[in-house]
Formats: sequence, structure tokens, C-alpha cells
Amino acid sequence: MASSPEWATLTDQQVVLLARGGREAAYRELIRRYERPIFALLFRMLRDRELAEDLSQETFVKALNAIDSYRPEFKFSSWIFKIANNAAIDHLRRRELDTLSLDGSPHAETPEAMQATALQIGARQESPLETVEAKELGGAIEAAIGRLRPEYRSCILLRHVEGRAYEEIAEILNLPLGTVKTYIHRARNELRVLLAHLKE
Amino acid sequence: MNSAPGPHFSSDDFDAWMSDAPSAEARAHLDACPECRERAEAEREIVAMVSALPLVSPAEGFADRVMQRVAMPDPFSLRSMAGIRRRLFATRRTAALAATLAMVVAGSMAASIAWSLSHQQTIAAMGTWLMGQAWQAGWIGVRGIASNLIEQPWYSTLRDSLAHPALLGGASAIVFSMYIGGIVALRRLLTVPTRQVAHANG
Repeated sequence: MASSPEWATLTDQQVVLLARGGREAAYRELIRRYERPIFALLFRMLRDRELAEDLSQETFVKALNAIDSYRPEFKFSSWIFKIANNAAIDHLRRRELDTLSLDGSPHAETPEAMQATALQIGARQESPLETVEAKELGGAIEAAIGRLRPEYRSCILLRHVEGRAYEEIAEILNLPLGTVKTYIHRARNELRVLLAHLKE
Repeated sequence: MNSAPGPHFSSDDFDAWMSDAPSAEARAHLDACPECRERAEAEREIVAMVSALPLVSPAEGFADRVMQRVAMPDPFSLRSMAGIRRRLFATRRTAALAATLAMVVAGSMAASIAWSLSHQQTIAAMGTWLMGQAWQAGWIGVRGIASNLIEQPWYSTLRDSLAHPALLGGASAIVFSMYIGGIVALRRLLTVPTRQVAHANG
């Protein structure tokens, strides 16, 4: 293996092998590849930036500290999404979330904390009007997703935000393929009802 | 009433329609069934809205914060043994192989001990015979080296020289001095410096 591999050309499995050999750069590459999708999933599952960041960290620490137990016959993405989803579901079981706040965490007590925990939209160039419209529309969709059952939420986010295949979602959530399809279908139906007011 | 050809769309049909791969039959049904068409349009709209949600990223320095809490594997530590153990018992097949191997090793050891206890006289006889053979081989070797030395052209000169007590004493003194000198040099080489060497810090 080259001393400084071209990371982009390596598969997840190859990067994991390098990480198992104690290469710090390989660990960082795995984090670079999955920090956004894992954080996005957790943020939309929990609707709290600070909490999503904490659980994202927990997810990576847990996965990377147990890298020896990862079985390469499975996709690395399925493994790490499974850890993240379990963390989110465990948390949701312990605490019930109610409303989405685009202006920050519902647990933020000061204006600074609200600012720090507010949703940070990715660097996409938009006009101020587009930004407001997108924020309103995005907020309505986020709120509607937040009202779905956690199982439906995981399914719809993994399918339509992360673009994962049904089979991989079934593996991540440890559910039969048919159940995953049913959940996604029901989630879309519920979203259609919840977002009907946007069409009026 | 459904006057359109074929049954109403199932969830799989909606998926196929959204991935732009509907069957000809499904397309024909959709063209003729306003109910399914309206539903399909609505589903596609929902999927488009969800897929267009903005990208979100964790705060800067996320990787550093994670890495501070990650224990990198040390191939020389016991953790690597733990890793081998985990991999060994990762699947039923590897666990079965490991168990078989362990049973073979343990069985061989037990059989070996049992045989040794029941055949002590045979082992003692074998030991005596082996010792005798080793002694004989050693003696033949020494004799071979000695006869080889005696036949060397310088041997008689050396023997005559060492026959004189003064020369023998001188030679012994030289060899002893070289031995002591060697020991002193070796000690100096192996002693750890008490002060740091200046160039070691760059």
C-alpha cells in the first residue's frame, strides 16, 4: 500500500483496513466521508443541533473505537448509520420532542445559545427572498418530518435525503424489506396530509 | 369506479413511477385514472421537497473532537490480541475452527502426557541412548579438530615457542591486556549518557 494513498480512490472497506493498521489519516477520512450524512440524519431525527452534534460524536467514537469488530462483508455506511439511528431512537425513547425550532435548540436559554444552536444551512448561494422562502418551506417540511413516528422518520430520511436503497435501509433499521417499503409509503402519505396547506 | 386499465397503483408502482421506470401497463393506467395520477403527482412533489432539504453540517473541528476520544490501535498492545480474539469469534465458522484447533492441541497434549507416564522405561532408555550418541559425536568432533590443528604448518613453531616459560608468560600477558581493554571499551560504549547530547535536540 502506498505511504500516502489517494483517499478518493479507496473504498470504505479499504480505508477501514488502513484504520485498523493504526493510520490516523484513515480515521479522519472515514469521519470526513460520513460526518455530514450522520449529523444530518441525527439533526432531523432529534431537531436539536447541539444534541445532534453530541450524538454524532458518540456515533463516531463508538464506531471508530470498535473498528476491529466491523465486518467488511457489510457496508460501512450501513454499520455507522445503524449506530447513529440506534442512538437517536434510544434518545427519543427517553425524551419526547415536540416542536421544531429553526431559531435554535428548544433547550437553549440565552440568545447566544439559540444563535449557536440554530440550523446552519449549507453554503448554497441564494438571494435574501429565496433564503426566506426556502427557510419557510424547509421549516414546514422539517416540522412535518418531525411529526412522523421515529421509525417513519428514519425511513424517509434515509431514503429521500440520504438516497439509501431499500435493502440498505432494511439492514440499517433491522427491519424486513416489506416493512421498510410500507413505512416509507405511509410516511409519504402522512407528509402529503401534513404539507397540504402549502399548496393552498 | 375504476374505468382505467389495470388495478390502481400500489406503493411499488408509485416508486417505479418516481424512478422514471413505470411499466407500459402502469403508464396506461395512470393516463386514464385521475385518482392515481393526482396521488402520483403529490407523492413526487413530497419526495422532491424532502430531497431538497438544505445540507447541514456539524460545527467546525468536529473531526478533531472525535479524534480526541478515539483510541488508536497499538499493534504491540494487548488490544491487538483482543482484536484477534474478536475476529476469531466473529462468525460461527471461525469460532468452530478455533474450538476444533483448541481441542486438537489440548487432546495432543493430554495424549502426550498419558503416553509419557505409561512408558517411563522406554523414555529413560531412549534418553540414555541419545546421550551416548551425543557424547560419541562430540568426542569425534573434538578429535577431528585436534588432529586438524596438529597437522597445520605453524603448529610445531607455536608449540616450541610456548614451551619456553618466559615467552608463555609474555603471550599470556598480551592476551589478558587485550581482554581487559575490550571489556573497558565495551562498558564505555554501553553506558547511557547522563547529560543530553547537544545535537540530539536539533
